[in-house]
Amino acid sequence: MFLLDVFQYEFMNRALVVGFFTAICTAMLGNFVVTARQAVISDMLAHTALVGVGLGIFWQLSPTYLATCTTVIAALILWWLSRRKDQAPEAISMLLLTGGLATALLLTHLQKDNYIPLSAYLFGSILTITENEVWFFITSSIMIVCVLIFCWTPLLTYVFDSDYFRTQPYAMVYEILFMILIALAVGVGLKVIGGLLLGALLVIPVLTAQAFGRSFRQNILISIFVNLLAVTTGVLASFYLDVPASSAIVLSLISLYTISRLKSFI
Amino acid sequence: MIRSEKLGLVRDGNVILDDVSFSISKGEYVGLIGPNGAGKSSLIKLILGFFKPTTGSLTIKPKIQFGYVPQNFSLSSVVPISVKEVLMMSGVKNQDQFMLKLEGVGLDQHFLTKNFHQLSGGQQQRVIIARALCSDPDLIVFDEPLNGIDYETKLSIYDLLFNLNKTKKLTILFVSHEVDQIIAHCDHILCLNRTMHTGCHPLDFAKGIITDCPVLDNVSQTLPVHHHHN
Repeated sequence: MFLLDVFQYEFMNRALVVGFFTAICTAMLGNFVVTARQAVISDMLAHTALVGVGLGIFWQLSPTYLATCTTVIAALILWWLSRRKDQAPEAISMLLLTGGLATALLLTHLQKDNYIPLSAYLFGSILTITENEVWFFITSSIMIVCVLIFCWTPLLTYVFDSDYFRTQPYAMVYEILFMILIALAVGVGLKVIGGLLLGALLVIPVLTAQAFGRSFRQNILISIFVNLLAVTTGVLASFYLDVPASSAIVLSLISLYTISRLKSFI
Repeated sequence: MIRSEKLGLVRDGNVILDDVSFSISKGEYVGLIGPNGAGKSSLIKLILGFFKPTTGSLTIKPKIQFGYVPQNFSLSSVVPISVKEVLMMSGVKNQDQFMLKLEGVGLDQHFLTKNFHQLSGGQQQRVIIARALCSDPDLIVFDEPLNGIDYETKLSIYDLLFNLNKTKKLTILFVSHEVDQIIAHCDHILCLNRTMHTGCHPLDFAKGIITDCPVLDNVSQTLPVHHHHN
């Protein structure tokens, strides 16, 4: 049957499984990120992740793992910089953002026997995910979800009321943990949707959910549903309509957001 | 409970605090006043342990539990959050404890499930005070908490704090611009302008004994007692 054709292909099964886990963890984390008004930071980290991709291409190692390592390091540097108040954090973010992209371009250019295109990580390449990467992405996603559940209250305090949060014990530990969670999510999303489009998975489902949800928990559940719907639609669209999966995912997310906004006019 | 001797704080080459000595004892209701940029917030941050003093000493009783009510509670208003979730931020999870603290600030248990952002300014402030009370603090610090709240509500919050101090023996450090209210309620006043003008009795303060305190000019216009002097 035409509709079930998709499951005959191993790469499609992998894409759907990874998409499923990515959708859940990014939607959940996205609610914390948007509430903390740190949506820009996720974009910045996604760009610094490209340095890892560049290094992977240059040394001919797996760009995915190196990208995750680079992002975690960049997250820690950014956290340290954000504590120093002598320069505006968003300006520093711009420095790291452009620096990341420029370094990735240079490293990719220097490696002549380049068999992995940088564009796979700029715009995502969910259909070329390998068996090893599947397990890595699933483990990272589960880790993100578990940490969010176990550290629910402190992280909720951090994103809702940072001034008060800093008077609580271990505040600094949770601040660092939160940055590492964003870094891990970037590592997962990089190949699924691409560094340049990653912000969409974290932010748009949250904006959509805000039209319906009446509590933080409800918002999370709705945004998970929105992300799952968009990722599945995107992956299937890329198979049946032969369009790039990541752009199909982002456009699905924006369509769902537009529908949610129409609700407020009714 | 807290004692500072010749406390000094320098940040990025700027002298924020210099030669600040004061003490706060258990059960006291202390007001901290001073003009903008006098270092009030920095002093609070020192007490709460955000900064370390550059010079002098700040001795705080070991294992002291602080409650903190920030200047403008920055609770993100885009996302709905229930009163219960706000109270849970204190680290306490016991529902009975929440009810008790809510009653303590004059709100009933029905508020627990309400959306924080749909409460009035005064009710929100009461919830924030209840949150600070949840951890059973030894000292509660109010950092100009009543900005942007209407006069009537303000008075009721001042009454609430006064009662908490008198009935529960709660030690309070209250930072404010509203000198008349501080004078009406506090046991003693700390007047800060980079350096500390010695703690004094409210009445002495009202009579204008500390003539070099810049906020006094404002006070003189609000206090009938000073007009009498003129």
